[in-house]
Amino acid sequence: MPSVSSLEEASELLAEAHEHGRRLRIGDDLTTDGLDRILEHEAGDLTCTVEAGIRLSQLSGELARHAQRLSLDPPGDPTIGALLACNLSGPLRHRFGAPRDLVLGVTLVLPDGTIASAGGKVVKNVAGYDLARLVCGSQGRLALIARASFRLHPLPKSSHTLLVEASDDDTLARSVAALLRSQLEASAIDVLHPGRLAILFEGSPAAVESQTSAATSLLEDAGCLVTQCHKAAIWDESRARQGAARGRLRFAPGDLASALPLIDEAVIRPAAGVAYLPVTAPDDTPPEVRRLEDAIRAQLDPNGVLA
Amino acid sequence: MSLPGGFRYQLRRALGPAKVLVEPEQLRVYECDGLTGQRAIPELVVLPESTEEVQTVVRACHRARVPFVARGAGTGLSGGATPVAGGVVVSLARMNRILEVDLESQRVVVEPGVTNLDVTRAVADAGYFYAPDPSSQQVCTIGGNVAENSGGAHCLKHGFTVHHVTGLTLVLPDGELVELGGKALDPDGPDLLGVAVGSEGTLGIVTGITLRILRRPETVRTLLAAFESTDAAGTAVSGIVAAGILPAAVEMMDRLTIEAAEKAVAPGYPEGAGAVLLVELEGVAAQVQEDAEEVARIANTCGAFEVRTATDDAARALLWKGRKSAFAAMGRVATDYYVQDGVVPRTRLPDVLRRIEELSAEHGLRVGNVFHAGDGNLHPLVLYDAAAGETDEARRLAEEILEACLEAGGSLTGEHGVGLDKACSMPRMFSERDLDVFARLRSAFDPEGLCNPGKVIPTPRLCGEVPGPYRVHPLERVGLAERL
Repeated sequence: MPSVSSLEEASELLAEAHEHGRRLRIGDDLTTDGLDRILEHEAGDLTCTVEAGIRLSQLSGELARHAQRLSLDPPGDPTIGALLACNLSGPLRHRFGAPRDLVLGVTLVLPDGTIASAGGKVVKNVAGYDLARLVCGSQGRLALIARASFRLHPLPKSSHTLLVEASDDDTLARSVAALLRSQLEASAIDVLHPGRLAILFEGSPAAVESQTSAATSLLEDAGCLVTQCHKAAIWDESRARQGAARGRLRFAPGDLASALPLIDEAVIRPAAGVAYLPVTAPDDTPPEVRRLEDAIRAQLDPNGVLA
Repeated sequence: MSLPGGFRYQLRRALGPAKVLVEPEQLRVYECDGLTGQRAIPELVVLPESTEEVQTVVRACHRARVPFVARGAGTGLSGGATPVAGGVVVSLARMNRILEVDLESQRVVVEPGVTNLDVTRAVADAGYFYAPDPSSQQVCTIGGNVAENSGGAHCLKHGFTVHHVTGLTLVLPDGELVELGGKALDPDGPDLLGVAVGSEGTLGIVTGITLRILRRPETVRTLLAAFESTDAAGTAVSGIVAAGILPAAVEMMDRLTIEAAEKAVAPGYPEGAGAVLLVELEGVAAQVQEDAEEVARIANTCGAFEVRTATDDAARALLWKGRKSAFAAMGRVATDYYVQDGVVPRTRLPDVLRRIEELSAEHGLRVGNVFHAGDGNLHPLVLYDAAAGETDEARRLAEEILEACLEAGGSLTGEHGVGLDKACSMPRMFSERDLDVFARLRSAFDPEGLCNPGKVIPTPRLCGEVPGPYRVHPLERVGLAERL
């Protein structure tokens, strides 16, 4: 399996497939394992630029030395390229968003070998089309992601997790609604359906403590049993269940109460309106969106190399 | 260029004559947006009132190969809504209804002509707000915000328009309709929503927008610190970042803009300040209080000779008064001014400010600096006197400032957009191949090139055949320089 270690190499491989009408699947027939460097980390700018083959854990380790992080915590340890291509996020999605919210720019290798960059390495930039967001969720079917720049966040000084048990769906939904309506700023709220809820607060020790106690009384008033836990095992469980999920269901966040009884088991990010299910769910992409995606694919990959 | 026979008649019959403007004095109203130096009279202006009517207009344009330009309030500063001669302007001013307020989902569904501030007004009583706050928020429309991916002073913490749009109804340039996203986040497939936001009206016309609203923070605190120089204030900004504090806004004004603001609105900023820094913190009370103390401490360490703190709305408004009036206040110290919009990595701010000072001296024109210091977005105000023939010199100076921003690894534009104004500058930031990929993406949406043509991507007709001096894209330059 060829692993590319430079932009030129990736460009040549793809251009050759393009010319000979061959198909390639990024991650299987071609990997970016050799493209795994951190090209720049300007701590004072809270930004970094990396090659796409670097693993999230490796990047996180490096950033942690400067008390910073890329605020994405998906299941497993994906490469940055896969993180973008599959639009992977974890519990921190609640406050910090998905890859599309944190990516600032990309360098792509198109299936015809064209190397192109878009966006930049600064946090604020509206010049040109946003190819960095375009490839988020593209599943490696538009272009090879070779490099990417990200916005970073400071590592929180402290954090605390609340584990909440609710006797029924109604109590669970009511508790989530009360949390979202409050002025508390949780970093993560995961519903571990059925029956449980995990909440993460991050910040200064004093701020975490005041939020934790405010959240505890709010949740107890809603009829829940609240357990304090400093250990983050619950988040590992949540990520593991998300990673093993076979389908996703989307709903308007306000419809959580009516969605819960329809689902047997799921990890739910309530503010996003996304439920990760252990069973497959139908693709809900409308046909006209599919047509638009196909039109874009026809422009960027006319010979169907990545089809 | 004139419209094909029957085109006017067809639209008047479909929409009713009141929604189709044809009289020269009516058309003249639409000849430019906030970039007043670029003007063109459209052949027609249509005022659709529904998605279906927008589709009718776009289909007619597509069939007859007539170019069209969507327009909101016309407050854009880059000519994104400048009409195309011989084309149609689609004004979305009458599509100004708030369609749904869904507090439980924290979403609001609006038509494109709704003003930015009206979204917050619709949810304020319930304790919510819409975060992006461009300075024109009283009049600018959400449709325009979507086109430009508008920011504002408070986007440092909350992000830009693209972070707050969860769904779009988009009329494609052939009149077909697509629904991108919705109230839920993370749809499957490529992030087309993220591509459409900030595409400057070149990929279609948005007729419906689902927005995310946020809960009003428990506490807001604003600090104003006065320094001898922008260098000292810049050091304080770095200190704030290094301390791991994420304010909602960090704004800076230099001596010239402070002077102008004092003349215009007398905000009473500390006397003799060479720079003032405005820092706004918001969030849970305990965190804000702690951060505010830390920010004040950092400011003092960096040489602030006065720090003021505001905790209530009235006191906050007073601190913001000078900053909010800064652009308009320039009229007190110069007859004309040009607002530039460039971005640099935050750590390069001091270097670039010094470079701007040098350039200002070289060109013999004064430059005032007001900027979003937290995210490195500069708005240098080049002061000149058009009557004294200084316009071209001012233009050159503004371009050299932009050059300095790109040199530092920044961007051509942080929030005003490329539009017509900077289309010819695009080759300074992007290679021919980058631009070619942009063009390919655009033709996937608009193969006939009818939707806001001439904007964003440079064309030989607009810019001449010679591309500007190319520099390596910031992303390629980092680590090592490579370009095939």
